[in-house]
Amino acid sequence: MIYLDSAATTLQKPPQVARAVARAVGSMATPGRGGHQAARLAAETAFRCRQAAAELFGMTDPERVVFTFNATHGLNIAIRSLVPPGGRAVISGFEHNAVTRPLSALGAHVRAVTGPLFRPEAFLEELDRALWSERPDAVICTHVSNVFGYVLPVDQAADLCRNRGVPLVVDASQSAGALPVTPETWGAAYVAMPGHKGLFGPQGTGLLLCGRTDAVPLLCGGTGSQSRLQDMPDFLPDRLEAGTQNIAGVAGLLEGLRYVRRTGTGCILARERRLIGRLIRSLRDVSGVELFTATRPEDQSGVLSLRLRGMDCETAGERLARQGIAVRTGLHCAPLAHQSAGTLESGTVRLSFSPFNTEGELAAAARAITALA
Amino acid sequence: MVYYLIICRSLTYAQRTAAALERAAITAHIMRSPKSVATKGCSHAVKISQRRLADALVVLRRAGLPPDRVYITQGDGSYKEVELY
Repeated sequence: MIYLDSAATTLQKPPQVARAVARAVGSMATPGRGGHQAARLAAETAFRCRQAAAELFGMTDPERVVFTFNATHGLNIAIRSLVPPGGRAVISGFEHNAVTRPLSALGAHVRAVTGPLFRPEAFLEELDRALWSERPDAVICTHVSNVFGYVLPVDQAADLCRNRGVPLVVDASQSAGALPVTPETWGAAYVAMPGHKGLFGPQGTGLLLCGRTDAVPLLCGGTGSQSRLQDMPDFLPDRLEAGTQNIAGVAGLLEGLRYVRRTGTGCILARERRLIGRLIRSLRDVSGVELFTATRPEDQSGVLSLRLRGMDCETAGERLARQGIAVRTGLHCAPLAHQSAGTLESGTVRLSFSPFNTEGELAAAARAITALA
Repeated sequence: MVYYLIICRSLTYAQRTAAALERAAITAHIMRSPKSVATKGCSHAVKISQRRLADALVVLRRAGLPPDRVYITQGDGSYKEVELY
């Protein structure tokens, strides 16, 4: 199989990830729940994982690295901590349902800063206006669109939010492990990310990097600390980690983080951009193929969406799957992004890459798409 | 053997505390706090030798990891809180 769906889940992982998961299942209990060897081993693994994440993302305090089950979990915590029921939020026009649905559930007044695809300057101008006019409780911005690979100008958006005193939440689902993710430089209130994409951890893992310590817990329960009190602890990470954690997943995530740090995010990004550039060059002159690409390579990362004239995207995805090429089709859980780009009715075929893809795989995918067009 | 227990608010804080001490060549052992000193329920503590408390406090102050409370073992197995200045 040629796997081009890494924006959903990276399937090819460094082999040490699976080995660590298996080892943890056989040897680790739960951190903080006992003084015995199995609990101690779990505690050491969890701490090393927090430290590795803090180092990768330039954070000074590993206590602000909270384990979640995925990015959606982290985003729900962040949104519920900052936006009260009926509150106000400004979001980018490329947000995933992981952002828009929690806001909808809160009955929040949401202003989407749409702006044209791959036009970061236009996005920033509109964001600046929205910050003045909306006076939001929070800004929530994806770092990279999961549909189009559009790299949003988070550095500058963070400057605007800081200047206006508005808390910023960044969804780093598609950028963690490839682009610089720097919560402390951004001054972000929260940065959420999954473990199972660019960090090469197993499914069921995620991280919430906390710039604030006053988050509202989504779950309440045992933490292995302050157990006589009925309130959740007021310190991180315990405040946000009720119940038994996915320590086998954390062990795998630790190995994924080590792989990313060893390889270097710059190398990973360069490789993904080389692959995407090759695919674009192979397909841009093919009649019947509509590519969604940035003029400047730095505005796009890891994801390429396309449409085939006269062919439903689901049909295209099915035909590619029959040839052993795994892509994602439809709305990719991000109808707002499609609305912003004008592809809501058609959806797109999405190809997304990891450093484990080869140029030969990309050439084969290009041939298969050309044959469909 | 006489030793000190540095009581920490969480396991992760205890791990940071122990890591800072180990980096300064102060042997530190993480353990669950004895029930008699864990006033709010379960907590974790870092155990260090009686000879290293002064050094440890300097290291922890520099690392921005102030101890919650510190206890010393008594001859009868109980613990007595140490006043920190």
